[in-house]
Amino acid sequence: MTTVTAVAGGIVCLLLIVVVAVLVATYNRLVRLRNQADASWAQVDVQLKRRYDLIPNLVETVRGYAAHERGTLDAVVAARGNAMSAAQGAGPASRAVAEGELTSALGRLFAVAEAYPQLKANENFAALQAELSTTEDKIAYARQFFNSAIQSYNNAVQTVPTNIVAALTGFRAREFYQAAGDERGPVRVQF
Amino acid sequence: MIDLVVAAAAVGFWVLVYAFCRLLTRPASPAAAPATMELGAESPALVSLLVNRWSLTEDAAESTLLDLAARRFFELRQPGDDPMRTTVHLSARPPASSDLAAYESQVLERIRGLSVDGVVPITALTFRNAAESARWNKRLRQAVLAEARAAGLSRRRISKTMSTLLSVLAAGVGVVVGFAALRYGFGKPEDDQPPAFAFGFFTFAVLSTLGARSLGERDTPAGRAAASRWLGVRDWLRGHDQFASLPPAAVAVWDRYLAYGAAVGVTRLASAVLDLEMGDKRLVWSSFGGAWHRVRVRYPRFWPRYGRPLPHLLLRAAAYLLAGGLILRLFGALDYFAAPAVLLLALGAYVLIRSLLDLAFTREITGEVLWRESWKSKKQSDDSYVTWLFHLAVDDGSGDRTTAWGLPAAVGSGVRDGDTVTITVRPWSRRIVKIVTVGHGRSREIVDTVTEEETGSLSLTMMPAVATPLFSDETVAQVVGRAVVSAPLPLGLQYNAADTGKPMVLVQSLSGLPGKVAWRANQRGAEVPGGAFVAGDRAAFRRGETTYVVTLMGEGRAGRPHLPWLVAQAR
Repeated sequence: MTTVTAVAGGIVCLLLIVVVAVLVATYNRLVRLRNQADASWAQVDVQLKRRYDLIPNLVETVRGYAAHERGTLDAVVAARGNAMSAAQGAGPASRAVAEGELTSALGRLFAVAEAYPQLKANENFAALQAELSTTEDKIAYARQFFNSAIQSYNNAVQTVPTNIVAALTGFRAREFYQAAGDERGPVRVQF
Repeated sequence: MIDLVVAAAAVGFWVLVYAFCRLLTRPASPAAAPATMELGAESPALVSLLVNRWSLTEDAAESTLLDLAARRFFELRQPGDDPMRTTVHLSARPPASSDLAAYESQVLERIRGLSVDGVVPITALTFRNAAESARWNKRLRQAVLAEARAAGLSRRRISKTMSTLLSVLAAGVGVVVGFAALRYGFGKPEDDQPPAFAFGFFTFAVLSTLGARSLGERDTPAGRAAASRWLGVRDWLRGHDQFASLPPAAVAVWDRYLAYGAAVGVTRLASAVLDLEMGDKRLVWSSFGGAWHRVRVRYPRFWPRYGRPLPHLLLRAAAYLLAGGLILRLFGALDYFAAPAVLLLALGAYVLIRSLLDLAFTREITGEVLWRESWKSKKQSDDSYVTWLFHLAVDDGSGDRTTAWGLPAAVGSGVRDGDTVTITVRPWSRRIVKIVTVGHGRSREIVDTVTEEETGSLSLTMMPAVATPLFSDETVAQVVGRAVVSAPLPLGLQYNAADTGKPMVLVQSLSGLPGKVAWRANQRGAEVPGGAFVAGDRAAFRRGETTYVVTLMGEGRAGRPHLPWLVAQAR
């Protein structure tokens, strides 16, 4: 009888050890995925801030050639301000809306610039435009990485058995950073 | 005795110095910079070198392929869930390829060369010939290393100074060894004295060869900095679980990140699908018939009749008959000997009849060579063997399975995978008795001159006489950049340099079935206006029922950029 009890006790201990090990491994994985998502978000943030930094120079350059396009220039400045405000603690969804508005305003600004050959010929403007274009590309990739990280994280948080550990330790599904406005619109084809 | 000890110590000293040199020049293992998604200026192939401690792996070629796809030279399309079914589609308007590095051009050329109507399955990019695969990969490695050295990212592990120093030391050791041998021979009869000079020279030769042997590449300060940065990128990509399971077609979404992911070894699935080395000989891609399809190939080895010549089969039949007859005659009275004897007689008769039928009913098959490899060989000298029978798998387009034929070396060992051939075979013994190459394969890197062996046996009645040359001597001269004189051949015209007489351009014409097969085999590379195809040094086009193949040869290859123009001048 004593032997049977000892064996049963041993099995229970072994099972407990296995369960604890699985819980720890699952928790660590969740932490790793969350950190990866945070790091990816930080990359998005870096690129967006880089875009904010480029805009004042761009606006000033355009103002030098097209001062009477005040409405467009003010819209860009306002959109930048809104986007920077949204960056203070807002989640990815509301931030995406503000960034979408800024992208639209910049699009209108570049459309206006098309009507000013001297502005287009300005080296500073061309350099800023190229820099902005590169930054937009980087934002797109950073957003892709962020969404990829969020997908992995959300999969872990919402699927069995990781969701049990996630629920016990306070991990919650997070929002994707989705393109807003013009970026999500259908591709227009002109003939 | 002391001399021998000194000699041994000298050799030991040299080995110690050599080991120290190796220790000193070990490639560095730079620490990874913080994880980042910022890519640098280096190409994926160079990155592969840097993150693998200055040794090149197969990742270099694979990541270059993905990089070219990311730069829109071609597109990777995956029709279903299986990444192995990914196909490469050449872009109709690719970017300028003049800025490509040598190894990038090499990968692009392979894809362009293998494409049929601008398409090639990704798994068809593997090689079917070990020597060709090794040569291609070696050339790629050399090009990558050359660029890495030029960029200051890598250098020879054993520098020339170090190699010279080791050679000088080896010479010293050789002198010591030679002197010891000389001293060891003092007092001995002349014919018993050791050859001191030979000992010394041998020691020098062995040690200096060892010292000069290439040990690969090692780091430089710039290389270490770049490697550290790229290891940071690797950590960043590795942190994204999904990246490991992205298929090659995901390059459409991830662009160059997927290529760099392959370079740093984090794209497990994409790297597993891509392969630019030897392929599987039992499952081979074939483009015969104009569309890519996979053919399962069986290689018979154990049936005694496979690949055997007729005399051999007849001899075997005679042996069976003789053995059966003898047993029956000598032990016919014993029942338990009668059955095996009758069996042997039946076997002998069967082999005899089938061999004779095999001789009478040969078949002619036209198809693409899928695989060629040595099957049986004989010893020629102590350590060399000569193949006398090859396995030759041919796809004739009749199904997705085939059995390799026995190709005697004497019949034609020059045929290569991808070539389109017409073979005359004995079906039962699966032996090829005649082979004619009617089109060269897509994997043939260097276009060979068509030889008499390949063309001479084609029926001349099927060939149109080239009554009026398609190109005037002057037109061809403009392409190759020197005066030429045309000379008629059985299958066309050859334009030779007027001054040296060396062949510059070969124009072949084929009609009938060989013409159709040659057209199918040469519909590759870039299609130019007028329906002609240009691939490397070769162009092909049709006029009515006749196929014309224009091949630049020797110094005439300098005219490669003008080949499309030449084709357009055909009158």
